Amino acid sequence: MTERWFPDEMPMPAANAETVGWWEAAAAHRLVVQRCTACGHLRHPPGPVCPRCRSSASEWSALAGTGTVYTFTVVRQAFIPSLADKLPYVVVAVELDGAQGARIVSNLVDVEPEEVIVGMPVEVAWEDMGPELAVPRFRVAGHRGERR
Amino acid sequence: MTTDGRAACVVGVGETRYAKWGGIADTSEYQLAVEAVLAAIADAGMTPDDVDGLASFAEDRNEATFMAADLGLPELRYASLSWLPGGGGACAAVANAAMAVESGAAEAVVVYRSLCQGQFRRFGQGPGNMPARVGPPRVPHVRRATSLLEAHVAFTMPFGMFSPPIAYAMVLRRHMHRFGTTVEQMGHVAVTTRAHAARNPRAVMGDRAMTMDDYLASRMVSEPFRLFDCCLENDGACAVLITTTERAADSAKGPVSVLGAAQGALKGFGHGQYSNVGMPDDDYASAGARGVAARMWARSGVGPSDIDVAQIYDHFTGLVLLSLEDFGFCGRGEGGPFAASGALAWPHGALPTNTHGGSLSEAYIHGLNHVVEGVRQLRGESTCQVDGAETCLVTSAAGVPTSALVLGRR
Repeated sequence: MTERWFPDEMPMPAANAETVGWWEAAAAHRLVVQRCTACGHLRHPPGPVCPRCRSSASEWSALAGTGTVYTFTVVRQAFIPSLADKLPYVVVAVELDGAQGARIVSNLVDVEPEEVIVGMPVEVAWEDMGPELAVPRFRVAGHRGERR
Repeated sequence: MTTDGRAACVVGVGETRYAKWGGIADTSEYQLAVEAVLAAIADAGMTPDDVDGLASFAEDRNEATFMAADLGLPELRYASLSWLPGGGGACAAVANAAMAVESGAAEAVVVYRSLCQGQFRRFGQGPGNMPARVGPPRVPHVRRATSLLEAHVAFTMPFGMFSPPIAYAMVLRRHMHRFGTTVEQMGHVAVTTRAHAARNPRAVMGDRAMTMDDYLASRMVSEPFRLFDCCLENDGACAVLITTTERAADSAKGPVSVLGAAQGALKGFGHGQYSNVGMPDDDYASAGARGVAARMWARSGVGPSDIDVAQIYDHFTGLVLLSLEDFGFCGRGEGGPFAASGALAWPHGALPTNTHGGSLSEAYIHGLNHVVEGVRQLRGESTCQVDGAETCLVTSAAGVPTSALVLGRR
């Protein structure tokens, strides 16, 4: 198991036919986006057809797991009780490298909230929430230190 | 919209008392809805026998079919529920009612909204993704989604983006990054709106004065949003009765015209920034209402400079700034300075806004109370009356697929 940052009580993801493959890839620590095999357009979240060419043919395209902070917020209210001792935590939108501008919502971990800025380079850090559920968090790129 | 005798107008408005979240426990949410509908019908000088349509929006729990039977309507000829989520659909529901009477499908349609969040789950809490409060510990895993929305918010909620203040704080952060918008500029919206509420006996926060220092001292929820950047959560209901100009000729208080309305979403907008961070940057750091605004102005035959008073959906202070930009009252990125100039303040501001106190200080009834206040302004009945007001813009929630309309005296 990986390092843990968030409690078991976090909302569990729900998947449908279009999105379950994304979560299966995540369980194997692969950060992917859906790629239209007809026109090459990348899309996230996954959907049934390509919004550009309307083809339903697609595959999962693996990303390097790096990107930059597009925007963020520092959350200082515990919306679920077991987050009370985890406050504050940082929610980010990450613009993923090599993803044609696709962005993902995640968390920036192992960082002082005051240090977070738009444009900051980040890299994926997987959190195994259970044997079959892994969630991609992000760290500041190059971070190798211990958790504060 | 049409200009013949079938042109749509508002002839009645009704409201129940407004209370804090959970403040109404002795009356059901449905009972409140019915009371508001009856009040709107009475306000028009009509009876339920005159009504043949009902309309609402965003997963309303109070089905029109049951209500039609319980009210004893002679026949239900029109019933609709707008797809626009949350508070995005209040003006759309009015627009749908207007289209129904203009087309001849119905003669008199009541639009209603009732919220007793103490009796049900909170809006914006997310569809069933919150952890169970009872039962044995569970091993986190991927569940089967029971709706498209559930599958979408799976990409936000496991990351602690639980609720609207978190999602829209990120929008404001991006706006601040691009345009230099400040916390104090958002504070102007909160303080100005509270001052308006102080004159309104219906306002839940009418007796709670707020200074800029009070605003800045309120606790942080999700940066840059403090508690006082966030709207209230309330119990209460309101309703609006739409009919044709011809039918309105003998109404008790005279008609207020729906000059024009529009609804919808930008390309790729999905459910808006509540669950989507992937739209173009110019759309993300905006109210997402640019298209709705353009179509609404075109249909209404008026523009921003013709507007005497505005009711701008205010779930969060910052999104009022973004709506002012999208609807053309100021340039892109200038919403903050526009608010800080005092423009929103009654009576002397350039655009007195949320003269009832809005969702920040009157009540959070998903913005249908903003339509009610618009009607009141054009009747000369507001507690912050703009002298001689002839036009009022009303907008629905920014940051989700949305709607807007212009009310007028003509």
